[in-house]
Amino acid sequence: MPDSLNERKERIAKFKKTILNKDDSARSVDIPEGLFVKCEACGNAVYQRVLDQNDGICPNCGYHFKIGARRRIALIVDPGTFFERDAGIASVNPLGMPDYDEKLLAGAKASGMPEAFLSGTAKIAGRPVAIGVLDSAFMMGSMGSAVGEKVTRLIEAATVQRLPLILFSASGGARMQEGILSLMQMAKTSGALSRFRDAGLLYISVLTNPTTGGVAASFASLGDINIAEKSSLIGFAGPRVIKQTIRQELPEGFQTEQFQLKHGAVDLVASRKEMRVLIARLLQFHPEVRA
Amino acid sequence: MPNKILVANRGEIAVRIIRAAKELGIPVVAVHSTADAGALHVKLADEAICIGGPQSKESYLNMTAVLSAAIATGCNAIHPGYGFLSENARFAEMVESCNLAFIGPASKVIGMMGDKVAARRIAQENGIPVAPGSEGILEDVEAGLRFARRIGYPVMIKAANGGGGRGIAVVSDDEAFARTFARTSLEAESSFGDKSLYVEKYLERPRHIEVQILADKFGNVVHLGERDCSIQRRNQKVVEESPAANLSDVLRKKLGAAAVKLAKAVGYTNAGTMEFLVDADGEFYFIEMNTRIQVEHPVTEWVTGIDLVKEQIRIAYGNELSFRQPDVKTSGHAIECRICAEDAMNDFKPAPGTITGVIFPGGPGVRVDTHVFAGYVIPPYYDSLLAKLIVFAPTRKDAIRKMRTALEQFVIDGIKNNVEYLYLIMHDPDYVKGQIDTGFIPRFQLTIGGERYARFAE
Repeated sequence: MPDSLNERKERIAKFKKTILNKDDSARSVDIPEGLFVKCEACGNAVYQRVLDQNDGICPNCGYHFKIGARRRIALIVDPGTFFERDAGIASVNPLGMPDYDEKLLAGAKASGMPEAFLSGTAKIAGRPVAIGVLDSAFMMGSMGSAVGEKVTRLIEAATVQRLPLILFSASGGARMQEGILSLMQMAKTSGALSRFRDAGLLYISVLTNPTTGGVAASFASLGDINIAEKSSLIGFAGPRVIKQTIRQELPEGFQTEQFQLKHGAVDLVASRKEMRVLIARLLQFHPEVRA
Repeated sequence: MPNKILVANRGEIAVRIIRAAKELGIPVVAVHSTADAGALHVKLADEAICIGGPQSKESYLNMTAVLSAAIATGCNAIHPGYGFLSENARFAEMVESCNLAFIGPASKVIGMMGDKVAARRIAQENGIPVAPGSEGILEDVEAGLRFARRIGYPVMIKAANGGGGRGIAVVSDDEAFARTFARTSLEAESSFGDKSLYVEKYLERPRHIEVQILADKFGNVVHLGERDCSIQRRNQKVVEESPAANLSDVLRKKLGAAAVKLAKAVGYTNAGTMEFLVDADGEFYFIEMNTRIQVEHPVTEWVTGIDLVKEQIRIAYGNELSFRQPDVKTSGHAIECRICAEDAMNDFKPAPGTITGVIFPGGPGVRVDTHVFAGYVIPPYYDSLLAKLIVFAPTRKDAIRKMRTALEQFVIDGIKNNVEYLYLIMHDPDYVKGQIDTGFIPRFQLTIGGERYARFAE
């Protein structure tokens, strides 16, 4: 019987259109831009305000959306304790790459930061730390000379001040526009970390979505404790590149945080909600060490 | 003797009466033909008696069978509904003689008002205008012709005992008159057992407006306002409403007063309807009285809040009316559409068959009086009425909108029906404006409605 009602409905619609010349076709209301975002994982439209209140986690499937560096800091450190450092360091275009200047401007606009890395000192559950966060909104969190310099300076400051170091990575890798200068940052940051370790200090690396390329291959993988956040793609080259190179089907769940945990590349997987408490507890496990 | 009612009818009105009786706490007996053994009224009644074969004359018109069923089941009243035996004075007399209550007027009143010529005379004697016509039965075609020329063509030739839209012919010249007179006489004889004819002036574009009355056995007569039944196809009502649109309060009062006066004059009891024609100048003419409940009674029920069928039963059992004329208040607007099993694209031929599924509309202000259900087989022996869809709203405009929506949601599968045809009427500009008269349907067919229907039905 419902079919009959459908048929009737079609006939009524035809009657109204062709005979009464009545246009019943409705237009959707205009809704403000950015009110809803589509979840990459489940495909549902998520109300932005709900998403924000839920720390950028899809209320439907639990997928962790990317969040900005300042937001990340706010989620992790004690309120009002963060003091930014090296805020004036920003990229130039040392190789004169076309369009790079425009990309830097666009990145600054998208992230609200002059570079892809935000660093400083703060307290977590009362414990002073050195903390730095890559922001994927700024040129996919890629590491050029400026990012490399800021990371290195943070590590060095932590070494001097004997602070635990916490780095949140979210990066596509080395910044192509700066060529070899970017690749050199891998060695520079790794070297700084080596000296930091020699000082007997604690480094917690948190790999968030995505952590790949030169960042994954340098400081992000060198933590004393490597934590992967949920919903994170972690690896060196992207799955498509690997697939084309080795001409093989990739295993299911390749390069997910769970895959990396299973294969020993990370020590822990944590959700964004439990991250602050987890880091606070790890800091508690590692009391301040005097040189 | 406890009360018990036999319903001498079938279809939606039998269901309606059974419900009213049950609400009054009175047991009710249904009668049915062999063709109606699975009908809804048979299932809803406390008892059911098969009274004969499928043809009406074998069962529902079979007076002794109906009466026997009533006596055998211990009934003390018979409700005749409409049609069938409802206006049969002989049957009413038989019922009275058997000491049963006939739920309707006294047999002699039925007989008096059933004779259209006598009814016209009584109306005239009481100062109620009637359309110019022959004052009695015409002896022969010559007398008829003389009379037709005197009042002027077009005229209507009508059977004195006719009704239900049959035994009526409209002619506009001598030649047609002579030709039609004999044929109408024959038709009257075969349909009503009486070949007597009379002639009436045919009014151009009149409105058909009728007044509902209720009268008890204590001389109290009230009218319950009017109904406009101008939307007719070949004298069969299609759409009815109450109150009538664009009717002055002065005229409304006059019609009500005339109806009450006539009812009192004949000593009328129970529910009845005075039918009038109202012309463009607001002149009104009495045509006839229906001495029974009418198909379109629900529109009056809705605007007055009075249950007519229950009142009929109360009156028949000798109760006094519980209200007087000043207590009758009308409000809002009600419209009824008659949903029929007929093929609107094919000259409204009856379309019997099996109903495979039904969806009825609902919600506030929507009433469906019906006897059909999914799986119901419509017998070919009786009329094609499947359901009455009645809506009620504060204003006529709201009621039309409600009716449109209700029709959109009214689906009967398996057989042809006129739901979509009614839907088009509800969209006709003249109908919406309330510019209606008995010529509405013919004009509708010829013009916008016909064209729309043809396109809609593609």
